[in-house]
Amino acid sequence: MAYSLVENVTGSKGDFTVTVRKKARYVNENLCTGCGACAEKCPTIVSDNYNMGLGKRKAIYRHYAQGIPSIFCIDTDHCRTFQGKKCGVCEKVCQAKAIDYKQQDKTLELKVGAIILATGYDLFDATRIPEYGYGRLANVINAMEFERLLSASGPTEGHVERPSDLRDHHLIGTMEKGLKKSTKSLASYEKKHKMSSDDFYKQFTAGNISDGDEFPKWAKQYENVQEATKKLDELKAKAEEFDIATRLAFIQCVGSRDFRFNKYCSSYCCMHSIKEAMMAKDHDARTEAYIFNMDLRTVGKGFEEYKVRGAEQVGLHYIRGRVAEITQDENENPVIWYEETTSQTVKSMPVDLAVLAVACEAPKGIEKMAELVGAELDENRFFKTHPLQPLDTTVPGIFVCGCAQAPMDIPESVAQASSAASRAAETIAGN
Amino acid sequence: MNKDILIIGGGIAGMQASLDLGDMGMQVHLVEKLTCIGGKMAQLDKTFPTNDCAI
Repeated sequence: MAYSLVENVTGSKGDFTVTVRKKARYVNENLCTGCGACAEKCPTIVSDNYNMGLGKRKAIYRHYAQGIPSIFCIDTDHCRTFQGKKCGVCEKVCQAKAIDYKQQDKTLELKVGAIILATGYDLFDATRIPEYGYGRLANVINAMEFERLLSASGPTEGHVERPSDLRDHHLIGTMEKGLKKSTKSLASYEKKHKMSSDDFYKQFTAGNISDGDEFPKWAKQYENVQEATKKLDELKAKAEEFDIATRLAFIQCVGSRDFRFNKYCSSYCCMHSIKEAMMAKDHDARTEAYIFNMDLRTVGKGFEEYKVRGAEQVGLHYIRGRVAEITQDENENPVIWYEETTSQTVKSMPVDLAVLAVACEAPKGIEKMAELVGAELDENRFFKTHPLQPLDTTVPGIFVCGCAQAPMDIPESVAQASSAASRAAETIAGN
Repeated sequence: MNKDILIIGGGIAGMQASLDLGDMGMQVHLVEKLTCIGGKMAQLDKTFPTNDCAI
């Protein structure tokens, strides 16, 4: 059951009663074929969470193209129809007649013998470390945002473009639209007074135009257009020089192993930074990647070999030193300030893009979930488990697996999931 | 004894647990808050150490 929330849990091991709210998509699940005609025609463009805000989606959307269930959903916070404006385009174009603005949430009651919590994690919010400039400096991003840039199905089709360049491209589009509008208004004056705006302006500034309310307005509009054209041309010239980010810095332990935030190690980020650096180099051989670390913790089958391959075969640079601050130069290049512990010197390095390996944290709603099921959380807000029974929560019959238990990578999450399944099956069998 | 099992969360852990229990012949209810399953793994480009596609 996707797009659903657990609202209440009562009972005990072997006999739980669970209330689930199935939220209305306003699309009939049995009729929608996932063709996407609705999204194609929807006039409302919204920031896309799946692409970490780097891309756009429509008010009627799928979270991602390959997602299962492949059924569209209306985001009522942005949909024109639900905001009281005139639309209904999706209903008109849907050949399966699947749009149903009158659909309601459904509440179901489930009787289950065991529960498995697999609620995952949230990324550490790097704005909590202001000296790193995340949220303030355009070209400082977090690891998940970098994954979306690397992805061939992502907002840049796999090209590692700098967010400042993406912003400028978007700005060019907006400015072109605005200029088109302003130029149209000049045309209406020209038609009325039967002269070009250039001629008019020459005459007006020479004092040769008679009095009239319109003329100062026309002159002002002409000046605005000249100014806007100049700015647009400057920006377009700047954009001609844009290239993908080839000098990359990866900053490890952002929010992890940090007495100010989370003391624990998030376990997978050294590996994912090495992977991201490798994949970026794979996209473009000019890439130089620098991974700033305290240690490169690559524990796992084949992981140490992966790290060594990264340095020896791919040419990644591993710099031992925690990053103190990230500033920016006049070209919006992030400048990494760090102590290189091997030489005991403070250095700075300008790069094209800085990628923060942010900590794995328990999700925002975890306290509510814990209260709902009656399970305790540990001091790091993950579900409390005993070291010798890592899949058992403090409630008999309720098990936990994956990052809901502690930060872990995919192989570990999958192993824990199978273990939790086994514990749940044991419960049903009467243990 | 209720024989069904509830799994809260449709990411990689929830999906794996669902598949294991389903293969055992158990009735699983998988509840996911987003409009589709996949979780964080579906947002990744490639996975280490094989550099296989995440999806």
